[in-house]
Amino acid sequence: MATRPEPAGVPGVPVDRSEVAARVRGWAPSLLRTLIALVATAAIFSALIAALGVNPADALTAFWEGAAGNTFNFGQTVMIASLLACTGLAAAIPFQARLWNVGGEGQLWFGAFAAVTLALILPDGMPGWLAITITVAGATLAGAFWGFIPGILKATVNANEVITCLMLVFIGIALGNYAISTLFPSESNQTESVPFDRLLPNIWTGTLVTAGALLALGAVLVALTLMSGTSLGFQIRAVGLNRNAARISGMRTGRVIVLAFAIGGAFGGLAGAIAVLGINGAVVAGFSANFGFLGIAVALVARLKPLWIIPSALLFAALRTGSSGLQAQTGISATVGEILVTVLVVLLLALGVIRLRYAEAAQ
Amino acid sequence: MSEGSVIPAAREAAGPVPGVRMTGISKAYGSTVANDRVDFELLPGEIHVLLGENGAGKTTLMGILFGMVRPDAGEVRLGGETVSFSSPEDALERGVGMVHQHFMLVQDFNVAENVVLGSVSPLDLMLRRAEIERRVSEAAERFEMDIDPSARIRDLPIDTQQRVEILKLLYRGARIVILDEPTSSLGPAQIEALFAGLKQLREAGHSIVMVTHKLGEVMELADRVTVLKDGRNATTVARGEFDERSLAKAMTGRELPELPAKSGGEIGREPLLRVDDLVVHSGARLHAVHGVSFDLHPGEILGIAGVEGNGQRELLDALAGVLEIESGTVEIGGRDVTGASPKGLREAGLSIIHEDRQGWGLVLDMSLAENLGLADVAAGIASRHGFLRRRGLKSRARGLLEEYDVRPANPDALALSLSGGNQQKVVLARELASDPQVLIAANPVSGLDVGAADYVHRRLLSVREHGRAVLLISHDLDELLQLSDRIIVLHRGRILYLAPVHEVSIDVLSMAMAGSAPSPVADGVPASAPVERG
Repeated sequence: MATRPEPAGVPGVPVDRSEVAARVRGWAPSLLRTLIALVATAAIFSALIAALGVNPADALTAFWEGAAGNTFNFGQTVMIASLLACTGLAAAIPFQARLWNVGGEGQLWFGAFAAVTLALILPDGMPGWLAITITVAGATLAGAFWGFIPGILKATVNANEVITCLMLVFIGIALGNYAISTLFPSESNQTESVPFDRLLPNIWTGTLVTAGALLALGAVLVALTLMSGTSLGFQIRAVGLNRNAARISGMRTGRVIVLAFAIGGAFGGLAGAIAVLGINGAVVAGFSANFGFLGIAVALVARLKPLWIIPSALLFAALRTGSSGLQAQTGISATVGEILVTVLVVLLLALGVIRLRYAEAAQ
Repeated sequence: MSEGSVIPAAREAAGPVPGVRMTGISKAYGSTVANDRVDFELLPGEIHVLLGENGAGKTTLMGILFGMVRPDAGEVRLGGETVSFSSPEDALERGVGMVHQHFMLVQDFNVAENVVLGSVSPLDLMLRRAEIERRVSEAAERFEMDIDPSARIRDLPIDTQQRVEILKLLYRGARIVILDEPTSSLGPAQIEALFAGLKQLREAGHSIVMVTHKLGEVMELADRVTVLKDGRNATTVARGEFDERSLAKAMTGRELPELPAKSGGEIGREPLLRVDDLVVHSGARLHAVHGVSFDLHPGEILGIAGVEGNGQRELLDALAGVLEIESGTVEIGGRDVTGASPKGLREAGLSIIHEDRQGWGLVLDMSLAENLGLADVAAGIASRHGFLRRRGLKSRARGLLEEYDVRPANPDALALSLSGGNQQKVVLARELASDPQVLIAANPVSGLDVGAADYVHRRLLSVREHGRAVLLISHDLDELLQLSDRIIVLHRGRILYLAPVHEVSIDVLSMAMAGSAPSPVADGVPASAPVERG
């Protein structure tokens, strides 16, 4: 009989259900589990807060205030979500090909390094829009290059991508710090500031939301089109779901691996450009609060689906800004926010919202 | 457990073997009915074959008997007493044991440890190895099984592992042994040995249920047969009352006409596939394919026989372009394609039906439309400027699903939701859609029920009728004899025997597969004195 447990639908019996219903059935349980995880996280959070001697209700209010209490704070959440959406895509695309790109942090830093370098050395007379375009494109390409390296090593000598990615994270961060300390030093703990006309313009008065948010949105749409509408996206999925079958049906799996990695890296690099041109105006020491690594969680909670990256990124961004608000209002350390993120991720894992399948381990 | 010896000896049978009577068994999974008021009776000391197509409900029924599945309705009586096993342990306690299709052995433990696992404490398992081995050795002797109790499972061939599974049950006192598709991974000689062993168990008074969908096995072994179809009883008949045709009809609900006689097409002279002195290494196994040469002509089916592990898999992988060719050449339609990538080979006109349908043939988590489009997407003909022609893929899939009678014919269904037979039809549809010059089919009907197998065979014959060539690699001799024009026997990576099908018999093939070539003709070269080559 079948060599794998039969799914609910049974062989040969046509299952009559509309496509929409099937889709709802596909993500509804996951959404429900996410909600359960959120409620449970809030409960654990409240207990923790109470133990620290603060009224949990006050804390939750402060938390909400920080994340979305007013348009300014919500704008902050949106900008962090923009970064997280890009680093989330950086993880999601290679993950779809079963390639563990855990180097989003490095791609983010290298993208930021490239962005600040380009923005500061492009000739003075150049129009702002052109400088921005070149800078964003350059940072994206730089990120793609940072992804290409583990990709090509994986495809040619089967080097473990987790290790190569992590090593490139250290190099990327070191380059960023080199820019801060040596290449473009300034008075404070950051590089020289990028000239104002080369920054991404503000698009929402009263907040710090810039066109970087639009770039992130565009990135999600590009990823969506790539994965569901192109031959390459199809091949990335096929390689991820069954590398043998993809190979024997004539796909050039090595090429697909390299491209999936490079595309993931490009999104990471774009996140770097958004950080420099759309948020900080420079490379600031420690600007990335592990946004690259957090992208992995964002991707997994979104179940690697480009559109779901948006709510997932907003959720994680809100946790971040919320805990800043908490600190401001109640004096509780922002580290509590870190605990919060971790608790949520563990709960999501336990509830199976995040599912890792090691199909290839058997081969 | 008695004083002195902590490790129990194999349990002695007490009293006569009880009969089993299951009546009105029903079981539904969601809206799918696996068993619908099924009756099943097992007489003491008989070999009872439970026959049915894939998905007919055989495994569910036996799962209920073995305490793995709870029935929604119905009654199980063991020796006249109503029982309701809540777990396999429970069933084993009452003398009912089951060998699953996939063995439940700890690969890193030795035979003895696996046999006693669960019946002695973990501490004893570690400390009393010698005693355990002695006990198991006694048991093996008693049941006349030739097994070394100290051998590690992972070092044992598959048929020996199966014997360990059976011994494990007998050791714990099983009198009723259920085997789920026990021959699915065995070669012909191993099957013969298994059957001899089962007959021996019957002589010793055990009752045996064998679940299968292979008719040949029924004819050889069954005292009685119960046929299930769509979760219901089709028929129960005793030896002498059935033949293959009547059983096939009961299983499928229709008469299977004979395969069309071969002869239609003319075998062309210019070979479509020419393999010359092919040498392939496979990991640590050097010369897995050791200087193999053959021609495959238009309108011909060339069968490749051999005991599993004699180079067939490596030959397949090398010809498919996924295993490196060490030396030798491969030509398709006169074009040298040695060392070409799978993509290049496809462009040269090769299609492959891989023996590992789920591992290599399909992407189980993709839809049927996507699976049918795999090769087209790879070849770049399913996209324009890099953008997929989704609608085109889907409408083409609809046509193929209908043409190949895949059920459900829903292009959005995931491949994993299909039965094995329908999955194989999807592979066939994809591989034949490009009208390949050469089709390599490796064990194309393994795991399929008769109806689906018949369908696949007809398709292979029609490829041949159309003047294309088929290389049929199989460990099913009946299949090879039925379809092939010529048959090659591979032994230790070499061609030991090659002859037109009308000159060979099962006996001759069996001998050749065992390594002795009765009337060796390998391209005119006596194969009993194989030529050593680099």
